[in-house]
Amino acid sequence: MTPETMSSMSQTALAHYLAIGAILFVLGLIGFVTRRNLILMFLCTEMMFQGIAVTMIAFARYHGNLAGQAFVIFILTVAACEAALALGLVVLLFRRRRTLNADAWNEMKG
Amino acid sequence: MVPMTLTEFSPSASQAIYLASVLGAIAVAWLLPRQPAQRSWPLAGCILGCAALGALWAILSPCCLGKTQSVLGMDVNAFRYHYVFGFIAIVAAVRVITHTRPVYAALWFILVVLACAGLFLTLSAEFTATAAVIIYGGAILVTYMFVIMLASPPQDNSKKADDSTDAQGYDLAAREPWWACMTGFLLLAVLLTVAFDVKKLPEANPVPAEPLALAQKMLAPGTEIGNTQQVGLDLFQNHPFAIELAGILLLVSLVGAVVIAKMRVHNEDEAGLP
Repeated sequence: MTPETMSSMSQTALAHYLAIGAILFVLGLIGFVTRRNLILMFLCTEMMFQGIAVTMIAFARYHGNLAGQAFVIFILTVAACEAALALGLVVLLFRRRRTLNADAWNEMKG
Repeated sequence: MVPMTLTEFSPSASQAIYLASVLGAIAVAWLLPRQPAQRSWPLAGCILGCAALGALWAILSPCCLGKTQSVLGMDVNAFRYHYVFGFIAIVAAVRVITHTRPVYAALWFILVVLACAGLFLTLSAEFTATAAVIIYGGAILVTYMFVIMLASPPQDNSKKADDSTDAQGYDLAAREPWWACMTGFLLLAVLLTVAFDVKKLPEANPVPAEPLALAQKMLAPGTEIGNTQQVGLDLFQNHPFAIELAGILLLVSLVGAVVIAKMRVHNEDEAGLP
């Protein structure tokens, strides 16, 4: 189905998808703030990325172009880089203190 | 012409959004792990969460129930499946942030990714759905699993191998669940107030992308190009600089991960430091 033939999604349908994206983002945010495990905190950032991706794809479908889908591919790239680096750092921190508790590092005050 | 099917935004809808947000905040704060675990009563949280989702649906449903494809602007069956995938995604997301054991949270996150891929399919973004499953569900989650296994704290063998005692202490108690849920769901209420208001959403602006028109000229007339080809053409003809940047980003993070992995650290516990 080419964009020319694809009919534009209605605003009602768009609002449904935006609601799902917003709920996923907010749940990830709450998880990032409340959980004390470093690995779970980074898992919650990935969940925020998922919410953003749903929003992007919904708007791409709504406007009938491909910019949103291309942007989600770049989000995937950044998420992969972030996962590799952040998990490397988590392993480094774990080797120092033998715990994944984020509160073990609470003397690092900016 | 875009069919305007959301009704005029009424103050009662706004109140219903805030009511749903309050219900959802209480549900998530109730379900978050806390000490002592014996007092938690998860069924109440589940019922409250379903009530919050039901309230949201009650706001949206009058303008979409029994509507045809021309009004909805998309396939009616795809729209029905979007409810299923959305529900799975939200329930799995709640489990990710409420589970006390990281391995199971990661497994629930795979379910979130799969449900999101289903949502992408209902939006006819096939390539992105496959890419999300392969990269997120495959590569990134396997990395998480490896790190969870590598960085598992030493187990105390004297304790019983029971589910409740197996989890680490810092996983059993969330940090400030009520404040976090209040703030998060306030943000959600504001976002939904914008998303459900016809006047605040942008007008649909369908412009056929230039490279696609070019491709249509090169192909035999009447040939359809699929979603993967469309995304590929769009990526390489509209965003070449961003692709170069993404390549540099991947290279830098590769070098950085190697450097971090080879870094020597001293164990502060064994060295006698705090």
